[in-house]
Amino acid sequence: MSASRTKPGLAGAITADGRLSRRSFIASASGLIAVTVLGLPRAASAHSTQPMTFPPGALGKPGTATQRIDGLAKVRGDKVFARDYAARDMPGWPAAQWHALYLYALTTDHAFLGLDLSGLTKAAQPRRIVYGDDMSKSLRSPKLVRRRDLAIDEKLQQAGQTGKQRQGFDRPTGQEFDLIVQPGATPNYLGQAVALLLFDSAAACRAAQREMRFRDSDFQAYAADVSRSENMGEIFPPQTTYVKYDLNGQQFSYASADPENYLAEVPGWQGRIAAEIAAHPDYITQPIACDMQATDPMFLEPEAGLVWYDAETAALNIVLGTQSPDGDVRDLAGMFGSADSPVKVEAINLTPCSPGGGFGGRDSSPFTLMLALAAPFAEGNPVRLALDRFEQFRTGLKRHGTIVKGALTAAPDMSLKLVEMNFAFDGGGRKNLSPYCAALAALCAGGAYQLPMANIFAEARHSQNISGGSQRGFGGPQAYFAIETALDDLAAGQGWDPVALRRANLATETSTTVAGGPIAQELRLAEMLDLAAAHPLWRDRAAIKAGFAARGISYGTGLALSLQAYGTSGDGMVAAVRMAPDGSFSVQSDAVDMGNGSATTLAVAIGEYLGTNASSIEMADYDLFGQTGLTTDDPEKQRWANPRWTAKSTGSSSACLTGLHQVHTVKETARAMFEGSILPAARRLWQLPDLVSSDVAWVGGLLVDIRGFMPPLSHRQLAQDIYASLGTDTPLPTGALGHAYFQSDWAEADFDTAGGRLRLRLDGLACYGAEGAAPKPIPRQNTIGPDALTTRYSRYVWAPCLNVIGLTVDRANGRVELQNVLSVLNAGRIHVPELVSGQSQGGIAMALGYALMEDMPEGMEGPANGLWNLNRYHLPRMADLPLATSYAPDLRAQELVVLKETPGDGRAGRGIAEAVMCSVAPAISNALFDAVGRRYASLPITPQKILQGLAS
Amino acid sequence: MSIRFTVNGQPQEVADTRGTDRLIDYLHDDLNLTGTKFGCGIGVCRACTVVMAKAPNPAGTQIVSCSTPLSLLAGAEITTIEGVTPKEGLLPIQQAFLSHFAFQCGYCAPGFVMAAQLFLEGLAARPVPVDQLDAAIARAIGDHICRCSGYVRYAQALKEVALSVLAQGGDAT
Repeated sequence: MSASRTKPGLAGAITADGRLSRRSFIASASGLIAVTVLGLPRAASAHSTQPMTFPPGALGKPGTATQRIDGLAKVRGDKVFARDYAARDMPGWPAAQWHALYLYALTTDHAFLGLDLSGLTKAAQPRRIVYGDDMSKSLRSPKLVRRRDLAIDEKLQQAGQTGKQRQGFDRPTGQEFDLIVQPGATPNYLGQAVALLLFDSAAACRAAQREMRFRDSDFQAYAADVSRSENMGEIFPPQTTYVKYDLNGQQFSYASADPENYLAEVPGWQGRIAAEIAAHPDYITQPIACDMQATDPMFLEPEAGLVWYDAETAALNIVLGTQSPDGDVRDLAGMFGSADSPVKVEAINLTPCSPGGGFGGRDSSPFTLMLALAAPFAEGNPVRLALDRFEQFRTGLKRHGTIVKGALTAAPDMSLKLVEMNFAFDGGGRKNLSPYCAALAALCAGGAYQLPMANIFAEARHSQNISGGSQRGFGGPQAYFAIETALDDLAAGQGWDPVALRRANLATETSTTVAGGPIAQELRLAEMLDLAAAHPLWRDRAAIKAGFAARGISYGTGLALSLQAYGTSGDGMVAAVRMAPDGSFSVQSDAVDMGNGSATTLAVAIGEYLGTNASSIEMADYDLFGQTGLTTDDPEKQRWANPRWTAKSTGSSSACLTGLHQVHTVKETARAMFEGSILPAARRLWQLPDLVSSDVAWVGGLLVDIRGFMPPLSHRQLAQDIYASLGTDTPLPTGALGHAYFQSDWAEADFDTAGGRLRLRLDGLACYGAEGAAPKPIPRQNTIGPDALTTRYSRYVWAPCLNVIGLTVDRANGRVELQNVLSVLNAGRIHVPELVSGQSQGGIAMALGYALMEDMPEGMEGPANGLWNLNRYHLPRMADLPLATSYAPDLRAQELVVLKETPGDGRAGRGIAEAVMCSVAPAISNALFDAVGRRYASLPITPQKILQGLAS
Repeated sequence: MSIRFTVNGQPQEVADTRGTDRLIDYLHDDLNLTGTKFGCGIGVCRACTVVMAKAPNPAGTQIVSCSTPLSLLAGAEITTIEGVTPKEGLLPIQQAFLSHFAFQCGYCAPGFVMAAQLFLEGLAARPVPVDQLDAAIARAIGDHICRCSGYVRYAQALKEVALSVLAQGGDAT
C-alpha cells in the first residue's frame, strides 16, 4: 500500500504501517492540494523506536526533564535524520531509487552554454540530464510564499512606489531567479544550479561526483564573451529605515508615525537630528566602521532528502529535515499547483525528519525546491538528493556578509544622544530572508540602550555570492558588534569607564527601541552590569592581566551587552495535547526541534497542569492549524471580531520561539485540557459538581482533593472516565488543540467547554473526541487581540545577555585563546536548565568561530568554487573553548549566571537560543583592544589580521 | 578475488573491484546501517567514526569511515554504533551522554560514542592518573566536531564515566 494511498481523516489517522498522519489543504492555481504530514516510518532494524518518546523510567517528574526526549534514538544511531532514509525504508514506495546531482555555476559573467560529459567514464554517465529549459516556468522559477515579519512594510513601500496597494506578497519576478540556469543565459549567482543529473544507481552518482570534483570547468561550457547577469546589485525589498526623534517634547518614530506618510516625513526629521547635533558642538561623535564576512551555518548533517512523484495517486511524497515545513509545503504547492506544472499534483505527503542542526540554515532553504524539482524527471522512481559537504558549502544558505558604517554621539555627561548606522547586507543570489535579517539588524542597532535619536538604514542587495538567509541571531550579531565596539572606543577616547558608560544609558521597561516601539518588558540590565562588574573576571582584570604580563603573555578583558529580540512581529503557534486511554499524554506541535531541545521542553511543559510529562511528542505538525477551524482570511476586515480569524497560522521554526511562544501555547492548551476535561471527570468520579481547580492538586502523579475529602485519582482512572463518556450525552474531550497568537500581547478569548467557560490566552480551541475523529472547534467569544498597528513595533520581547571575555594573544603567531567567559543572562523562567546552559555553551562556541575562525572569502575564491570543506573552513573544537563551568583563577571556564526569575517575568520564559551568541564577538574585539591596544573591526579576526594590526 | 571482513561480527565479502568504495557508503547502501553519520567526507569532522580491529591493532582503533576504502578492510573487524549498542539498554557512556544532555541535534553523537567507548575500554586496560584524565579525554574526542553543544557537556559526561571506570578498576561496558 502506498503511503500516498493511505486515507488519513481530517483529525489524523494511523497509516497502514502505523504512522500518524494528518491532512490539510492548500489552494493552488490548479485546485486544492491535500497536504499530509506523516510520522517517521518505523525502521525494520532491531533499533527501531519512536524517536520522540521518553523511554520507560525517563519520564521524570512533572515539568522536569531527565534527558532529551529525542535523545535515546540519537545516541543509538537510529534512523531519525533525512539522510538516514532511502526509498526502501519508506512504506509503500518503490524500493529502487534514482539519485540526483546538481552542477553549479562557475561564473556570473558569461552565458552558460551546456555540459560536455564526454570526459566521464561510462560508469559515471547519468541516466538523464535536465537543463533549465527542460522545465516549465513554474517549476524552474516558482513563485515563493514568504510571509515573514515586516512584510507589511514591504506592502507599504510598494504602495508608495506604485501608488496602489499590491495584492499579496508576491515578489517582483526579476528577483525570483531560475533554480536552474537556462542554457544561453548568464547565471544569476554562484551556487545556482546549471544542470540536474539523474542517475539510476548510487554507484554511478558517486562515480560522477568523484570524477567531476574539483574539475568543474572540464565539464561546463561558457560563452567567451562577457555578459553580466541581470539585476546584479539590485535591492531585495524592503529596505528598512528607522528614524527616531524624541526630544524637547517632539516625537517621531517608525512606530508612532502614520505608516502611509512615514517615509515621506523621514528627511525632515533627519534634518532636525542634524540640527540638534550641530547645535551642540560639545557632543562627542564616535565613528562606526566594521564589517563581517559571510559564514556557513555548518550544521553537521548536509542537506538530504527523498522525493517521489506517484502518478497513480498524483501525489508528491517528500522526506526532508527543514525548519520551515509550512513555507516549504506552500512553495511546493506553488511549484506543482501551477497550470504549467509538468505533472498533476493533488497531494503532498511530507515526512519531516529531525534536522541535523539548523541555526537558520534550514529555514526556507532552497534545498527543498531543488529536491522536489527532480521528481517529475525520474520516470516514476523515487529520487534521493544528498549534498556532500563541498556541495553544502557551495550552495547552502549563509550568514550575510555585512558592512556597517555610522556613528555614535554622546554628550560630555556620557548620555548617548544619537546612533546612526547604515547596514549593507550582501544578500547573495536569492532573496530568501535577507531583507528581514537586515531589518532586525536595524532594530538591534541601538543595542541595549535608551537613545533619543536614531538614524538607521538597512538593506540587502543581490550579488553574485551564495545566497544569504536566516542565521542564528538574524542580523543581531552584526548590529551588536557595531554598537558594542563603538561604545568601548567612545569610552577609551574619553577616558570613561566602559561599564559606567553603559550603565548611564541602559534601556528600561519605559524605554523605546530605535523603531519607537515600547520595550514594556522587565530587562534588569543594571542588575546584570552590577553582577558582571563585581565578578572577579571583570573586577580583578588588571591583576589578571598583570599576572599574564609577568609571564610574557598579552591578556585582555572585554565586555559587551546585547538585547536580542525573539519571535517576529507576529507569531502564530499551534499545539495539541491528547490523553490516551492508559492516562498517558502526547503533545503535537508545529515547532521543529533543530537540536535546541524544543521537543523536550514542550513535552515537560504540560506537567504543571496535567501532573505528568508527555510520554511522546510529534514536531513539525504545522498542518494542525488546518484543524483549528481558524482562517487567516478576513474579507470583511473584521479582524478579531471574526470568531474564525487569526492574524497568523504558523511560521518558520526558530529555536528562540520555544521559551515563550511555543511553551505558552502548549501550557495554555494543557490548561484547557485540564479545566475542560480532567476536572469535570474528577467532578463526576468524586460526585463533587462544585469542584474547582483550586480544590485539587497533582501529588505524586495523582489528582488529589487538597481538602482531603476524596480518594486520589490516577491518570488512568481519569482517562477511563473520559473515554467512557464518549458514548454518552455528556462526552468529555480526550484532547485539546489550541492556537495562540502573540504580537506584543497574547490574543485571548472565552471558550465554552465541558468544564464551563474558560478564559484562555488562545485564539482558537478545538476538542478531540474518539480516536480518528476530527477535533471539534469551540467558537470563541469576547476576543481581545493585538491591535494591527503594534506590528510597527517590530519586536516586543527581549532576551538580554552580557558577556565578559578574558583572552590571551600570542604576539608571535597572532593566535588568540579564550581563557574565560562570563555570561549573564536574563532568561525569565527556566523550563529545562540543562537546555538553557547548553544553548549558552553552543552559542559561545559558534560566536567564537564567527569572531575568530570561520574565514570564508566571497566569490570564486570562496566555497562557490567547490573546493571548500572543513580542511579550510575551521570550526571551534574542544581545545578552543574553556570547558569548566565555574570561574576560578588558573582555570579556563565559561560561567553562566542566569538571573533568578521575578514576578515581572509573569512565569514566562524567554527565547534565549540566540541571546548569548550576540554579544560574544564584540566582547572578544573589546578584549583584544584591551590586550594589544588595537581595534579589530573586521570579522573574522584571524591570526593574520592580528599580526597585521600589531605591525601597524 | 574478494575482500573479506566483518561488520558487527557479521562476515562480509565484496569483490575487489569495489576496493575504492568508501566504508561509509557500504554501511549505508549495502547494510542499511545508517547510524554512522556522513559529515564532511574528508575525515575531519569524525562524525563517521567506527572502530576497526585489525593487526597490528587487534584492540581496535577509531577510523573515519568516509575516508576508508574497502580495500583496506581485508581481515578487519569493523564495529559501528549499531554494533556497540547493547540489544537492551545502553552503554554507560551512552547513558551519560543522555543524562548530561551532552548533544543537541545528535548528528555527531554516534561518532562521539564510538570514540569515547574505545577510550574507556582502553582506560580500563591501561588506567591513567586522574590528573591526566582531561588531557586523555581531549586526545580521545578532541578532534570530533560538534556544531551545537560547545563540547562542555560531552567532556563532563565522558569524565564522569572515565572516573567511574578508574574507580572500579574498570569495566566500561
